[in-house]
Amino acid sequence: MASKLFTKSAPFLAFLGLALTGCQPDLEQDIKPSSGTADFSRYISVGNSLTAGYADGGLYLEGQLNSYPNLLAQQFRSVGGGEFVQPLFTEAQRNGTGYLRLAGFTATGSPITATVTTELALRAGATAARPLYTKFTEPVNNLGVPGIRMSDILTAGYGSVQGNPLFERITPDAQPTQTYLARVTASNPTFFSAWMGNNDVLGYATSGGASTAPTSIITSTATFTANNNQLIDALTANGAKGIVATIPDVTNIPFFTTVGPSFKATLLTPQPGLPNGVPGLVIQTGSAPGGATSTNRRQILTADIRDASGVGRQLFTLTSSPFLGLLNQRTGRAWRYIYGQSGQPAAGFPIFLTTYGIDTLQTFGTSAGNPIPSAFVLDDVEQTAVRTATTAFNNAMIAKATAKNLAVFDVNGFFARVASGGIVTNGVNNTAQFITGNLFSLDGVHLTPRGYSIVANEMIRIINQQYGASVPTLNANDYPGVKFP
Amino acid sequence: MKLQSLLLVGGALLTSTAASAGGYQVTLAGQKNNGMGGVGVGLSLDQAAMFYNPGALAMVRERGVQVGVNATFARSAFVAEGGSTQRELRNSVVTPFNLYASFGPAEGKFRAGIAVYTPFGSTLKYAEGWEGRTALTEIELQAVYVQPTFSYAITDQISVGAGLTVLAYGAVNLQRDVPLPDSFGHIELDGEAERKIGFNAGVFFKPSEKFSLGINYRSKIDAEVKGGDVTFTDIDPNSVLAARFPNTKFDATLPLIATTSIGIGIMPTEKLTIGLDVNYAEWSKYKTLEFTFADPINGSNTSVSKRNYEDALTFRLGGQYKITDGLTVRAGAAYDESPVRDGYVTPETPDANRVSGTIGASYAVGKFGVDFSTQFVSISKRSQTQSQLVANGTQDRVAGTYKTNIVIPGIGLNYSF
Repeated sequence: MASKLFTKSAPFLAFLGLALTGCQPDLEQDIKPSSGTADFSRYISVGNSLTAGYADGGLYLEGQLNSYPNLLAQQFRSVGGGEFVQPLFTEAQRNGTGYLRLAGFTATGSPITATVTTELALRAGATAARPLYTKFTEPVNNLGVPGIRMSDILTAGYGSVQGNPLFERITPDAQPTQTYLARVTASNPTFFSAWMGNNDVLGYATSGGASTAPTSIITSTATFTANNNQLIDALTANGAKGIVATIPDVTNIPFFTTVGPSFKATLLTPQPGLPNGVPGLVIQTGSAPGGATSTNRRQILTADIRDASGVGRQLFTLTSSPFLGLLNQRTGRAWRYIYGQSGQPAAGFPIFLTTYGIDTLQTFGTSAGNPIPSAFVLDDVEQTAVRTATTAFNNAMIAKATAKNLAVFDVNGFFARVASGGIVTNGVNNTAQFITGNLFSLDGVHLTPRGYSIVANEMIRIINQQYGASVPTLNANDYPGVKFP
Repeated sequence: MKLQSLLLVGGALLTSTAASAGGYQVTLAGQKNNGMGGVGVGLSLDQAAMFYNPGALAMVRERGVQVGVNATFARSAFVAEGGSTQRELRNSVVTPFNLYASFGPAEGKFRAGIAVYTPFGSTLKYAEGWEGRTALTEIELQAVYVQPTFSYAITDQISVGAGLTVLAYGAVNLQRDVPLPDSFGHIELDGEAERKIGFNAGVFFKPSEKFSLGINYRSKIDAEVKGGDVTFTDIDPNSVLAARFPNTKFDATLPLIATTSIGIGIMPTEKLTIGLDVNYAEWSKYKTLEFTFADPINGSNTSVSKRNYEDALTFRLGGQYKITDGLTVRAGAAYDESPVRDGYVTPETPDANRVSGTIGASYAVGKFGVDFSTQFVSISKRSQTQSQLVANGTQDRVAGTYKTNIVIPGIGLNYSF
């Protein structure tokens, strides 16, 4: 019976086998990647550290490989994109400039970072004060230069040994004083991305408005506009299409939002003699010299410190984190750190204290004689300066891009949405939270591979819209956030 | 064949599939019915009436046993929103089964019986590293009902019947990847449901030789898992993150929903039988899938995912034609509304409206019979966008397009006495 059943059912099963092979649905026939009206055969990216793939306070091979331009180029390949060369560090020098890594957490949950100092790309003749990196002199498609400002693009010698070492690294030996704009002009793209201008306001913000160094002042809108116009004109000279990214309001990034909330909570904790906690602080503001009674001192109410729910205005920088525990102690440690950052000889420290009217025998942070350094606080007045400049710069970039019919990535709006609600990618939540949010790297300013992949996806979405293209997006979850020990 | 050994055959096949009805419902309860588009509520074909309409059992003159098994070959394709890579299921074959035995006096007005079947289930394994990995990597959901049944013919024209539906075996194994900041861990939730009881009742009315009518109701059972195992893997025990993902226990409840069906049978000639069924499945009871954990996982003792299903109808049409005394052939079709709303599709039931075509045949020699059936199910292509997920607060799943085809051959043996 059984064998008879088998012989009878065998043809039936064979028929089923045939039916099954034809049964697999095929959705790929629905997806036809296309470049639309854009031509991706020669893609050039211009910009700063974000474009270079900078992360964790450094430029290193892994970050370069995960730069958003590299991710874009990888996706462009399915629609006629050509080779995309980045000035990659070698495997032997993969740690590039060095960077921060997460080493662990303190008992109270604060992150402990350590600096990676092996396998750097330093070349002979480099010093700590003037690092020089192994050169990469092949033509490159990724012209992202960490630190570059819109105001720098016409500066001859910006890439010389006296200039920006990461531009120097990719500057042709025969043209040591070539400007960034000249380099861009010579790149002759068919398609480009431009994300420039962050540093024209970021340096001011991250230094808490405390420095008069050229990299820490806000670029004038007139200079910014003129330079941006030249940059876009150079990129589009041969009819290239492209995408222009604006700059975000930096007050939403973890560099400014991480320390304040926990500091505020600590201050509000009742103490002997202070049942309501510490009511307020004294901070230094701005960069001008002056003593305890000058206008560079400000009283800040504890209630005015911005917390996680957005209540309050005053922002504390990530750099303030190791020093805020010294509050109310008679100490000069914060000032020694601040002075140390200037690179001046140690002998000048007493003069520095006198210039700014600092008396380290007074209580730190609660007396006018020993305020919290300006560099640790981006106060409400400084934030207004940052926002005004950001808006002006963005308006200039949008106006020029619109006139040239280019795609515009409203980075400010995008990151504001991310900061308020996070962004979910294929079921995984990502927020602007420091370390746990997946998007921002350990420097609190630059992105993680996950963050860069999300930027690339957003750019693809906008490029597709503007140029009628269908460039496929990435699975952002394939790219990690902060590496845990 | 003895009943005892039949039960053992059944026992080896304790598994089921997301195969033949919306959501995780499975309607593969009788090989004859399978060949006829799944109709059966308004017919009195054989012992499978215990599933389709216990009211009709008293009208099934033959007493006997029958066992049937199906094999589901599901082929699925998924492309994430904006993506260009097609993901496919890791193919697995699952085998929903059924077993019926009925007894009663040859000329008496009643029939008693026992039925074992798999009314719900789902088995899916997704491709490694697919976009929805944090929502699901694989699922096995199984429910086996045992149903002691009694049916009584009040007159020659009307009969009633009812059975206790005992959730004799229910099990869930759900696995997914856990997003860590720099990698993926893996979580497995594995549990067995507690035994629970519901009922299945029906009325059958046959006013003439050429027409019959039936109505059937099968009640809801909440499959409750208590103290299921939560196991994490792929999380480095030396990582500072490991402490946030302890192996622990979970509780969860899944509604095995109620269905109401009406069906009619038309017998124009002695050789031809046509059936038409409409099923109404009360899926709206499935609001959320909620897991409660004994120890907090990543800081939370619960995991809640919105389902928000809606009630759904299925329409079935099928017929059989008796070519000779021994050979009967069948064909049918069904249209099955998805209970899953737009923007709520999950990988565990990548559901959409379904169209099925079925064929079948029976061959009988004396008291023995063998039934074959094959169903071809096309689950419509269905897309959901990230903005739909954001609007619904259902971002725990993945945006993209699903399409599934299923082929379900089946075989049944029966013996009458």
